[in-house]
Amino acid sequence: MSSSPFASLLEIAAGLVIVCAVVTLWRRSLSAIVKTLAVQGVALGAVALILGLHQHDGVLVGVACLIIAAKGAVIPTLLARVLARDPRSRESTPLVNVPASLVGAGALTVLAYSATRPVVALVATTAGQLIPLGLATMLIGFFSMIVRRKAISQIVGLLLVDNGIALVAFLATAGVPLLVELGASLDVLLVVVVLRVLAAQLWSRFGVFDLDQLRELRD
Amino acid sequence: MSNVSLIATASAGLGAAIAGGALPSKTRVASAVLLTWVSCGAALAGAAEVLHSGHPLELQSAQLLPLTGVTLSLTPLGAVFVVTTAVVAMASTLYWLGYASHGLNSRTASVALPLFVTSMLMVPCAASVSTFLVLWELMALSSLALVLNDQARREEARSAAQWYAVMTHVGAAAILFALVLLSAHAGGQTFAAIAAHAKHLSGAVRSTAFLLAVVGFGSKAGAVPFHVWLPKAHAEAPGPASALMSGAMVNLGIYGIVLVGDQLLGGGPAWWWLCVIALGVASALFGALYAATSTDLKRLLAYSTADNMGLVLIGLGASGLFAATGSHATAAIAMVATLLLLVNHSMFKGALFLAAGSVQVATGTRNLDRMGGLMRRMPVTGVVFLVGALSVAALPPLNGFVGEWLLFQGLLHGLPTTSTVVVFAVLVGVGALALTGGLTVAAFVKAVGIGFLGRPRSGEAADAVEVPYSMRFGAGLLGASCVVLGLLPMLVIPALERAARSATSSAAPSSVHGWVTLHLAGLHGVLAPVLLAAGLVAAIAIVASLRRLAHRRSNKWRALRPAEPWGSGRLLQTPRMQYTATSFAEPLQRVFDDVIRPARDLDVSHAMESRYYIERISYRSTSDDIVEQNLYRPIIGAANWWGERARSLQNGSVHRYLAYGLVALVAILVVIA
Repeated sequence: MSSSPFASLLEIAAGLVIVCAVVTLWRRSLSAIVKTLAVQGVALGAVALILGLHQHDGVLVGVACLIIAAKGAVIPTLLARVLARDPRSRESTPLVNVPASLVGAGALTVLAYSATRPVVALVATTAGQLIPLGLATMLIGFFSMIVRRKAISQIVGLLLVDNGIALVAFLATAGVPLLVELGASLDVLLVVVVLRVLAAQLWSRFGVFDLDQLRELRD
Repeated sequence: MSNVSLIATASAGLGAAIAGGALPSKTRVASAVLLTWVSCGAALAGAAEVLHSGHPLELQSAQLLPLTGVTLSLTPLGAVFVVTTAVVAMASTLYWLGYASHGLNSRTASVALPLFVTSMLMVPCAASVSTFLVLWELMALSSLALVLNDQARREEARSAAQWYAVMTHVGAAAILFALVLLSAHAGGQTFAAIAAHAKHLSGAVRSTAFLLAVVGFGSKAGAVPFHVWLPKAHAEAPGPASALMSGAMVNLGIYGIVLVGDQLLGGGPAWWWLCVIALGVASALFGALYAATSTDLKRLLAYSTADNMGLVLIGLGASGLFAATGSHATAAIAMVATLLLLVNHSMFKGALFLAAGSVQVATGTRNLDRMGGLMRRMPVTGVVFLVGALSVAALPPLNGFVGEWLLFQGLLHGLPTTSTVVVFAVLVGVGALALTGGLTVAAFVKAVGIGFLGRPRSGEAADAVEVPYSMRFGAGLLGASCVVLGLLPMLVIPALERAARSATSSAAPSSVHGWVTLHLAGLHGVLAPVLLAAGLVAAIAIVASLRRLAHRRSNKWRALRPAEPWGSGRLLQTPRMQYTATSFAEPLQRVFDDVIRPARDLDVSHAMESRYYIERISYRSTSDDIVEQNLYRPIIGAANWWGERARSLQNGSVHRYLAYGLVALVAILVVIA
């Protein structure tokens, strides 16, 4: 890989995104997971910011600021408010234990690298080389939605998926139009609000954030 | 002037729907009816212009529909359907004024009915695939809303609507595939582009499109075996809606087959039309048989619709067959006969359904075994029903006779060709026509005799009173048109010939001549409807006066007491001793036992004291549709079985559902990696 400061910064920011994804699988404390998510949001914004400054694209810089505000501050704050009811709540018994989850994350990352080979070969830039990280982040997010029990973890998993998609979008194209990015962000914000309400309802009804309670709704 | 009438039709129709939806309950029906009449009037004016000049009315707008725009073109063929629809719609909406207070004045109904009428007026004007499909779907949805009108009161209406919704959408899917296939090959979606490209298509594509169209449009026309929704939906729909569905909507199914077969594809090989004839024979026999054994008045009429559409399909198939084998003159006569049958069917079936709706309003039942003596209590409705019944039974001097006569002429004179297949098909068609005719007469003798003559079989029938004027006028309008068309068929035949020529794009000269006496070009058949009617009237007058003469001369006649016709004489003590619809149909049911397979239920309960004394006997005979039982129930059962199996995939766990997604995604990635 190239050694220009731009490339190094970009690699560090994109690497931080996937590291945060793995960290959410490793940590059990829900408040720590939400904090990790905030860090990931800032890292994603940083990727956009670096790309925007490098390409002298004012709109992309604006999008970056928007992402940092939404994913680094607004959404984590919303989640933290739900958690405030039970600040010590932990993901105590995930469906797959933590070491196995980390192995799974590793396998998914390998899969992401092998699946994106044709795309990477097509995009010759530094940014293009980092595309597998976005796909890996997305797959890890999906995986964490499956193995975690708490409603908050589900939201975090969904946001990981979204961040992964956004990372691929930034790296693979010359920048996402502002309108598209706004639409996607609003969508995610709406989903977070709905899930937050759901989590709050679960809490008031059952006293836990445990999604397994929803099985009662079948039939 | 050219396309003003099209714009006026559409905008007045939409205005009627808006008025129906927006106005308060007191004024909404009246204003919707008024605007629907304006819409129908505009449509009639446009159609008359087209039929007179022979040039189509065109209208294009890129803005009305996103992406595709709207393309309308009213051809002479379409104009025939527009005129028929408009006449039935005017009578039905007039009837609606009186019927509204019997549960058809809701906001939904007042929007759906004008929309239904307008979409039926516009479907024959559509000249591009997207326009046609949008209007077709609008017609299906608005009529579905009308079928659902009574669902709060009757469970059957909900089930009927379900059947209708599924069948109409399966049919619409078949039509969609057919039209999309054609437009994909033509590279354009206007009908003109498709027709221009049709010659270059391969035989397989043409046949696939045609057969799909026959299935799709055939299900709308109620052709067996796609008819199962028809007896349910037409019977459950409220009066004016069932008249519109049976009198106008089924026609458009036939229109679709002519559109795809003749106008878009420009005719096809003989086996296409043999398929159509086979479908027609099956529908005609099946419909007539079930009509003859049905005891529900509106169900009887609905089965009779399937029967009549079968006759129309036989005519249509014969016309195509003759054209494919090169005898264009007989093909033209068969096409005119087909259109005449359609027009006639709309008139008499509309009248019959409106009269049946009045009977339902007056007695609260559709069961023939609970009616009786209605001719005396509801004379206008009774006479309209009688005229309709005589007409559907194809008795002179009414319109049904002229149509069937023309069809017979066309079929019989199509015989001397070289192909044995054609001869065989035509002979089967003629045989089916004859048997169908007999069964239809039995069905309608039963409907009139049991329902309208004799003595009342229930308190409701005894207390029945004649319906309001608007309902009598609405039904009477269609009844009168049956008589007029029966006496003066030349009022419409030239227009039908022009339409037939535009459909088959042949330049055959006019084949039917003469105002008083109909002559067929190239054939020996001659018919004089007016003279026939005069002769009938004279014969009746002679018999009546002879009887009066004999009455005066002889003392023997004085001892006779007059009794109600169909009342089984005066000796009987209770009306329950009269013939019933079930007992009337029993011999027929026995003959066709293997086809109908009725479920009979005989329940004898003995008196407590001795088993030699019988306390009561209850006999119930129900004949469910065998196509429904043997073709559709297994399909529904299989779908349910699959559904039950699929349920085990879902255990309610969110994690499991998400895992399905991830596994699928990983599998795809592994495959492409």
